Amino acid sequence: MKNGFVIFLSVATVLLLSWGALVLAPQMQLGGARQVPVLNSTDVYPLARPGTAAQGLQVYRANGCAACHTEQVQQDGVACDVVLLAAGKNPSAVSNLLATLKLTGLDEGSALSASDRIAAAGGKVETRIRATGSDIARGWGLRHSVAEDFLYDYPVALGSLRVGPDLADVGRRLPDPNWQLQHLYAPRSLVKGSVMPPFRYLFETRKIGAVPSPDALNLPAEFAPAVGYEVVPKPEAQQLVAYLMSLHTDVPLYNAPFTPPAPLKP
Amino acid sequence: MSDENSSPKSGTEPTAARSHLPMWTLVVLLTLLYLGGIYFDHHSGWFDRQVYAPFDNAAQLDAYQPKSGAAAALAAGKKSYESVCGTCHGNDGIGKAGQAPQLAGSEYVITRGFNRLAHIPLAGINGPIKVAGKDWNMAMAAMGMALSDADLANVLTYIRGSWGNKAGEVTAEDIKAIRASLGARPQAMTAETLQALPE
Amino acid sequence: MTVNESPSTTNIDASCRVPLLALFSGAALWLVVSSALAVLASLSFHMPGKFGDIPFLTYGRVQPAADDALLYGFCIPAGLGVLLWIFARLGQVPLRGGIVPVVAAHLWHLGVLAGVVGILAGESTGFTWLEFPRGAAALLFVAYLLLALWAFMNFTGRRAGGLFPSHWFFVAALFVFPWIYSVAQLLLIGAPVRGVVQSAVAWWYGGNLVFLWTSLIGLGAAFYFLPKFSGRPLHSYFYALFAFWTLLLFGSLSGIPAGAPLPAWMPALSALNSLLLIVPILAIAVIGWKTVMGGAVQTCKGGSYCMIKFGFVAFLLSALLLVAGACPQVSRITQFTWFSAAQTQLHLYGFLCITLFGAIYYILPRAVGRDFAFPRLIRLQHWCSMLGIFLLVVSLAAGGLLQGIKLHDAGAAFDDSTRAMLPFLRTSTMGLLLMLLANLLFALNLLTLLFLWHLSVIKTVVGAALAPLGKTGVKA
Repeated sequence: MKNGFVIFLSVATVLLLSWGALVLAPQMQLGGARQVPVLNSTDVYPLARPGTAAQGLQVYRANGCAACHTEQVQQDGVACDVVLLAAGKNPSAVSNLLATLKLTGLDEGSALSASDRIAAAGGKVETRIRATGSDIARGWGLRHSVAEDFLYDYPVALGSLRVGPDLADVGRRLPDPNWQLQHLYAPRSLVKGSVMPPFRYLFETRKIGAVPSPDALNLPAEFAPAVGYEVVPKPEAQQLVAYLMSLHTDVPLYNAPFTPPAPLKP
Repeated sequence: MSDENSSPKSGTEPTAARSHLPMWTLVVLLTLLYLGGIYFDHHSGWFDRQVYAPFDNAAQLDAYQPKSGAAAALAAGKKSYESVCGTCHGNDGIGKAGQAPQLAGSEYVITRGFNRLAHIPLAGINGPIKVAGKDWNMAMAAMGMALSDADLANVLTYIRGSWGNKAGEVTAEDIKAIRASLGARPQAMTAETLQALPE
Repeated sequence: MTVNESPSTTNIDASCRVPLLALFSGAALWLVVSSALAVLASLSFHMPGKFGDIPFLTYGRVQPAADDALLYGFCIPAGLGVLLWIFARLGQVPLRGGIVPVVAAHLWHLGVLAGVVGILAGESTGFTWLEFPRGAAALLFVAYLLLALWAFMNFTGRRAGGLFPSHWFFVAALFVFPWIYSVAQLLLIGAPVRGVVQSAVAWWYGGNLVFLWTSLIGLGAAFYFLPKFSGRPLHSYFYALFAFWTLLLFGSLSGIPAGAPLPAWMPALSALNSLLLIVPILAIAVIGWKTVMGGAVQTCKGGSYCMIKFGFVAFLLSALLLVAGACPQVSRITQFTWFSAAQTQLHLYGFLCITLFGAIYYILPRAVGRDFAFPRLIRLQHWCSMLGIFLLVVSLAAGGLLQGIKLHDAGAAFDDSTRAMLPFLRTSTMGLLLMLLANLLFALNLLTLLFLWHLSVIKTVVGAALAPLGKTGVKA
């Protein structure tokens, strides 16, 4: 008995340590998270997903979409680009200077010195910050994913395998709901050689009534139903697409800074 | 039954030798702890909740916050606005009853140009004025006189670009010109003189 | 039976008979179900358009159902059965109160049934390794507590005083599961935490169950059977304790993957601890080497000993893959690829399942007092399992690396990474088919034994009419 107690105590200690580090500490640090300001703006982030999108997350969960899709953009690094806004009073000096300087893909220190030198020559510059990495280059997002992106989700569907592309920012990347609906119904009608299973059970194939449904999919002949029939999305399909549309992580935050691609201009 | 059953000691329970742990296991453990410790020191951000990979620490994250161009103007403007203007107009730009009218959606803010807007902080304003459908009759001192051209430009840029306002940027050179045109002791504006100015 | 009477080995084995039959036969069924589901899921990569009209056959439901059926359906009950028997043997105490573990075993399998059906019906919770819906989870929890309690009582009542290293591993495993399962259920299902903390909890749970718990059970069994079969003492008690401590400490902290959208310290802490796992891996390798090699080497002849040795090597490999996959330079390539699936499969099937097969082939004939009906199939099963898992793991790991390189190359289109993976995924189906065959052979032997035993019990009952039935109950 005594030995059993020793094992129990020691195991309990180690388990408490692991629980404290990987459960309690994250909960204390992130469990009370709130909306945060979007960088250089008065907007806050994130906003709760609209009702249909929240229902769509449940469709996403029930059908195990996270088995093949991640929602976590990876970022390898961060780079600064120095952009000339106005040449100022001495354009030739500025352009001579520009020819000698490296202006893209700089680290923060060299971006600062480059912009200082151009400013000293009279040019007006802006330092733009952008995330780097293969995910970013593919257009899967503008920055790495952070805890705030999932603040209102239950369950959080991060996924761990990329049989399909990352979906963290898909609402910005593929903003057309009709494309999404058709892709769910017949992935290979839009992406050749896709291995995504079709989700035909989220759609209803029915006889066209007196008036064709405005929601009916506009399918290419190879995938279209028999003549006189139309394919109409069930509510689940609409909700799932609403969820996909709501996946937007394209705002800069303090913990994921970047300069938005379309700056504020008159 | 499987062949092992014929093995001589299969009926008896196994025993364990009592030889002690060799030194090298501890050496390996300590070496790995040291290397791992260095890795953790470099890449963990030391438990800072804001530091995510690929950033290594809070100082690095700070260095990569956008700080020039339009974004930086907005950031600087927000700071000055909240210390100078926000107490009356509200940090959310919706104004405060009995203190100052709203700036969000105000017809004096979301104009095409910013000539009228810039005159208010530079000259002050008093008398009756209608803002976003509400009547006001208050006085505002020339709060902007104490700010530098660049600071005031940033504040106005921030006001014109926040809380749903989508008007354009204000530059320090423009403020400098307007300030020069007003002279050293400008007359406070009224709704009428303001309307008389070009946009 | 009086306390002072020393029970014979036969009595101890017989005392485990009915609970073990209940645990193992259900487990064997789930093993077959799991590999059938895995083959079905894998078919998606051969003919992706086929199951579009049937919700419960969609990949996203079948794949987690297959994984959970393997872990919860086979690994845990079979592991607990092996643990019960080894405890009884090491402590020289028969398993008492036979009916409670039997009921618990059936309760467990009922819970797995509810869970797998729930996942296929779309009631999955959405958390990896915790997909079983609420009701199923409650059944599993109660069943585990009962089984663990009985095992622990047997442990505390042991007659042969000293502790053997397997005791440490097994007692720790008994505690780990209820603790992590209750915490995870509470924080994810009962009163869910907010946002990405859910993922942290799920990763903590997954790491502790899929790596730590399985390692404790599999190594506990290996440390019992390796010296038994090799005829040499385990080398040594202190090595094993050192491995135990370091494995428990570092393994329990290694769950958070590198790319997680969590503050950098959490993945960094897990990467650090995964690296430190090299220490217990080395210690365990030395234990295996010095226990099996040297002196008069007992060769294995295709039965239990072979399986346990194979499982032991598979453990070393899978743990090394885990360490490699946690290195920042490697994880940058392998994250989000099939590489980690390869590691998990190697660990769960190559290491734990094959170790448990070896143990069960040894234990069950003794507990039932009757040989397997098809002893030749044991060797065939071993070969099928080994080849199957080899094909599966090598194709997934190699394909995963290639996929990762393509994923990491911004110049390559995303479709390239999928297309590069397809031939490997199709090869892995062959592996899965071999594993299905192996599992069918295992189930055949086991269920035939169960059937023959039932038959003999019925014969006894009929023959003895109203006479007392002997020590074991007839309840099965």
